[in-house]
Parts: sequence; C-alpha cells; structure tokens
Amino acid sequence: MTSREEATLDRIAQLLEQLDREAYVADPAIATSLHLALELHKPLLIEGHAGVGKTEIAKVLARVLGADLIRLQCYEGLDASTALYEWNYARQLLHIRLQESGGPGAVDAEAKIFSEPFLLKRPLLQAIAHEGRPPVLLVDEIDRSDEEFEAFLLEVLSDFQVTVPELGTIRARERPHVILTSNRSRELSDALRRRCLYLWIDHPPFAKELSIVRRKVPGASDALAAQIVGLVQRLRAAKLAKVPGVSETLDWAAALVVLHADHLTPEIVGETLGCALKDEGDLRKVRSEIESGRLPVGAV
Amino acid sequence: MNADLVHRTVSLCRELRARGMTVTTSHAMDAVRALRAIGIESRERVYLALRCVLVARPEDLELFDEVFAAVFSPPPEDAIEGAVRVVRRSPPRDPAAAVSLSSWGKEGEEGEDGEDPEEVPAASDAPGIAEKDFSAFGAAELAEIQRIAARIARRLAARPSRRWKASGRGTRIDLRRTMRRSLSNSAEPLELRFRRRKPRKTRIVALCDVSGSMDLYSRFLLQFLFALQGTVARVESFVFSTSLRHVTALLREPEYGEALRSLASGVHDWSGGTRIGESLAAFNSGWGQLVDKRTVVVILSDGWDTGEPALLGEAMETLRRRSRRLIWLNPLLGSPDYQPLTQGMQAALPHVSVFAPAHNLVSLRALERHLLA
Repeated sequence: MTSREEATLDRIAQLLEQLDREAYVADPAIATSLHLALELHKPLLIEGHAGVGKTEIAKVLARVLGADLIRLQCYEGLDASTALYEWNYARQLLHIRLQESGGPGAVDAEAKIFSEPFLLKRPLLQAIAHEGRPPVLLVDEIDRSDEEFEAFLLEVLSDFQVTVPELGTIRARERPHVILTSNRSRELSDALRRRCLYLWIDHPPFAKELSIVRRKVPGASDALAAQIVGLVQRLRAAKLAKVPGVSETLDWAAALVVLHADHLTPEIVGETLGCALKDEGDLRKVRSEIESGRLPVGAV
Repeated sequence: MNADLVHRTVSLCRELRARGMTVTTSHAMDAVRALRAIGIESRERVYLALRCVLVARPEDLELFDEVFAAVFSPPPEDAIEGAVRVVRRSPPRDPAAAVSLSSWGKEGEEGEDGEDPEEVPAASDAPGIAEKDFSAFGAAELAEIQRIAARIARRLAARPSRRWKASGRGTRIDLRRTMRRSLSNSAEPLELRFRRRKPRKTRIVALCDVSGSMDLYSRFLLQFLFALQGTVARVESFVFSTSLRHVTALLREPEYGEALRSLASGVHDWSGGTRIGESLAAFNSGWGQLVDKRTVVVILSDGWDTGEPALLGEAMETLRRRSRRLIWLNPLLGSPDYQPLTQGMQAALPHVSVFAPAHNLVSLRALERHLLA
C-alpha cells in the first residue's frame, strides 16, 4: 500500500468518525459514497424512503467540511429564475427614480441597473459564484420538480457556469459539492442518474436505529429506546400505507420522554401512535392489532 | 492498483450491461477511479465503491449484488475467467412484434388536417371500427387500430385545453420584460408585460392487469396513456397478475411491445390466478409515494381476484383516500349483459369513483374526460 492510499484509507474511516461526531450515525456505505463524491467531484444522488435522513447527510457534510450549505428546495413549477437568478426589480425602479433628476442617458442607466448589485442570486448561482471554500449544494427533493427543470439542472451541473445575458458568464472557481435527494415521487431521467453517484438509504436495521435514538433522544431510557425501535421495526414489516421512517421513530421517542414514559404499555402506545403512523387506515389497523394482543408492545 | 481488480471491474461492467443495466464507458472509468480513491482494497470497500458508481436505482441493487458476487468470488488459483460465469438471459427477439412507442408522440403532424379533434375518429379514420371490441379484431388489424388509438391520444395531447387557455393577458406581470420596455420610455413602466402560469400536468398512475384476456386491453390502455406522457400528463405505469411490476421505463424502450409480452408470460401463473388485492397492496406499500391528492389512479382489470376480497377492499380504500380520483376500467363492461358480480369487483366497487369499459376506441377516447378533468 502506498502512503497516498493509506491517507485515503484514513479518509473514509476519518469521515465516519467525523459524521459520528456530528451526531450522524453513518455506516460505511454512506461514508464511502460521500468520500467518492468528494474525490471524483461528482454529484451524489441519494434516494430512500421519507424520513431516513437524506437531507441530514448534506447538512452534516457541510459541517464536517466547514463549508457553507446552500439549499435549493424543489417543487413543481420551480423554474430557472427562482433557482438561478433574478434581477432586483424593486431596486432597479428605485435607482431609476433617484437618477431621474440628474437625467443621465438611458444607455448609462441600463448598464447600471443590470450590474451585479442589482442581481438577486438564487441558490444555483450562489453556489457557482461562491467565494472561498467550495460550498455544499443541496438540491432537495429533485423528484418534485418538473422534467424541464431537471434538464436545466443537468446543464448547470455539467459545467458549473451560468451566462447572464447582461453580465456575461459566471464560472465556478471550484466545483461545489452537490447532493441531490429524491423520495421517488416520480422517476428521474436516466441522464441525471448517469451523471451522479448513487446512494440508496434503506430503513436502518435494529442496532443502527437504536443507536440513532440513543444519540438523538438522550432522555429515553435504555428499555424505552429498545422497545420503541423494536416496535417500529415490526411496524415496518407490516403492510402499511405509510411506513414510518427514522424521523417518526425520533418524534415518537421524544414524545414519550416528555410524557415520562420509561417503558411501553398498550395504553401509552395507543395514545401516542400518531407520532409514528400518519395514515388513518394504518392507525386503525395497528390499534386493533395491539388491542387484540397480536402485536405485543412491551417486548424487545 | 491491482491489475486483477481492474480486470474484474471491467468484467463486472460488461456483465451488468449484458443483464440490462445502463453501464457506459464513463461508468467503467469512474469505477476504476473510485477504486483508486478508496485506498484499501478490501472486499467491502470495493463492493460499496462500485455499487455507488454503477447502480443508479434501487431495483438494480439485487442484480448488482448477484453479479458482483459472481465476478468477485474468490478466484480459483489459475483462471480469473472462470469466475465470470453468469447465465445470460437474452430473450429471443421478434422484430415484427416490436412496435416503437417513441413514434407515438412524434409522427402525425403532416397528416393532421385541421378536423375537429373533439370528434371520435369513427367517420374519418375507419368507419365501423370505433365501437368494435379490441378482442374482436384479427392480429393483422390490431396494428392499424393501435395506430388510430395513437392518433386520438396525440390529438388529445395537442389540443389546447379550455382550462389552460390564456386568460386575457396573463396573470403575472413579467417584471423582466416590463423593465426592459420601460427603459425606452424614460424608465416609466407604462407598458406591462405579462406571463402565464405554466399549466400543471395531471399525474396518472396506471395499474394494468395482464393476466389472460386482460393483456390485450391493458396494452391498449398503456399505449394510450403513454402518448399523453410528458405533454399533458405525467404517467407512471404498472402491470400485475400474480405480482406487480413497474413498467414506466420499459415503455420508453423501442421494443416495448415485446418486452411487455415477455413480462406478461413471465408473471403468468395460471394455477395461482390473478392476485389483484395483493398487487394493489404491494403498490401501496412500495410505490405509495407516487399517489397524492392530484393523482388520478387508473386500474384496468376484470376483477377476477383469487386472493382475499377483504385485502382488495382495503387496498382500494387506501388508494381512494390518497388519490384525487380512482378509476376502474373493466373491458367486460362493454358487453351489455355483463354484471360486476365477482367477489373482487364487489369488494372494489364501493371505492371507485368512475367505473368504465375501455374495450374499444370510443371508450378509450371517452377516458380523457375522467383523466384530465
């Protein structure tokens, strides 16, 4: 093994440790993917069920790198002007008004109001024009945007430069680290998938979820944490319309801590089940399973 | 880096490609770069790195694991070649059976002659066929019928819908254009420029029964919906008989027809029969996130369910609650004396907002009202 390889070996292990220090319970798959995204300078597409901590990865990565996090939240109808840049029209108008008494030519006025101080940088341009350490650009829930926006994003991600007709081309000095997340509410294009590294995050196994609960809800007793995680894991195996994610487990644990529960009883589960299950049909189904005793709540 | 490792990685890429995954040369190059970047060449590291680079969707994980295990099995001392022995499944191809769907959206501009697109194509396209049941056509005629169905769908897609027509002069002021204009007017925004809100696309989820006689009708429906894809709607397509398959990506393939057929024969399990309830429940738990309050869910089936009716009813209830509209298409409804008496139909009907036939061109055409309304 060369020394360079040793250094990179350290890097993945180190990354795991750093993620852990930031209270993110990672596993080798996550650390390896992040490391590769940093090393190969490629965007990382993270998919997984709702509430498995996809967005959190980008936030934690920014903290680990000591970089700024720039977030672009996607939604249907999101367009280039909201994502990239827009002119500050109010300010342009004000400027024109103030200049009116002086009466400079229209050409001057135009050059002035279409200059950088009048430019509103939206997340993508912010990431490209960012000074200093490359930021982490989080494109959250890309599956909510339209296909047209996806194509536009691909273009931006491929060369990290933007041309503003009035200003010229703005180029990223160093490529931002890009993380995209998707809940799979629609299929993303093959072109986008090809461009990215890929990480699928599944619901965590018992041990991992337990350690997440212990880290994030320190007030929960050992018995309570284990019982909650055990129950959530069993709920996931049942056929539910909306499967609870880790964030639901955490909400639930936090609620039970507030209620000073130190272990689960059918009554307290019945009262707080809404923290974990968000679908009326699921709630009814699981409540009746618990009442009939088919789903034991106290066991680990 | 270990030459054997590079060799195996290349084999892995080749094998994955042969098994239908999208693995390009740049993927292979990235894979090698990734191996260099991970440093230690432990089996786990190599596995995680290659998976991160080569897999692009969760459905491919299983295949990747299988091929990885085969290619990276501990080598017999002498031959690495021996490690790469994965059975290749390349189904026989019948070029005649392959109809390209991609042409559905494109062709036809030259042929459009300005006739009223509202009209069912009975008179102009081919007299007497609009109301004939799909199953009554011979194999030779089917291609022609498909072409006509495609044309109807294209017209639907091309027609500017009443709901989306420009409302006067737009709803939002386009500040950028207004500002530009005003510069020539000594900066007085005298003339307002407008822009229109982009129309929202309808989201459609289609769940089609491909068991037995339903196969033919399902194929018509899927093709019809595919032609709406991207223009007026966002369509996700599934087929089921004993189990459920996501086929949206498959429909984009040039040989989709053949692919669908092999799929149908693959999932057929005659002794098991159709498991509608289980398939819908599988959809709800695995793909439920595709359905929201703006989604129209279309199910095509004759309702011959060999599973528990209660399970079907429950799955239907969930679907109804989460979707905007739940449409059940039963081609048998096209025959006048049909009664929806099967247990499956009985369990499903209370949750259905539209119950329609979809057995011929007229009924396919009529679907639009329910889909895009």
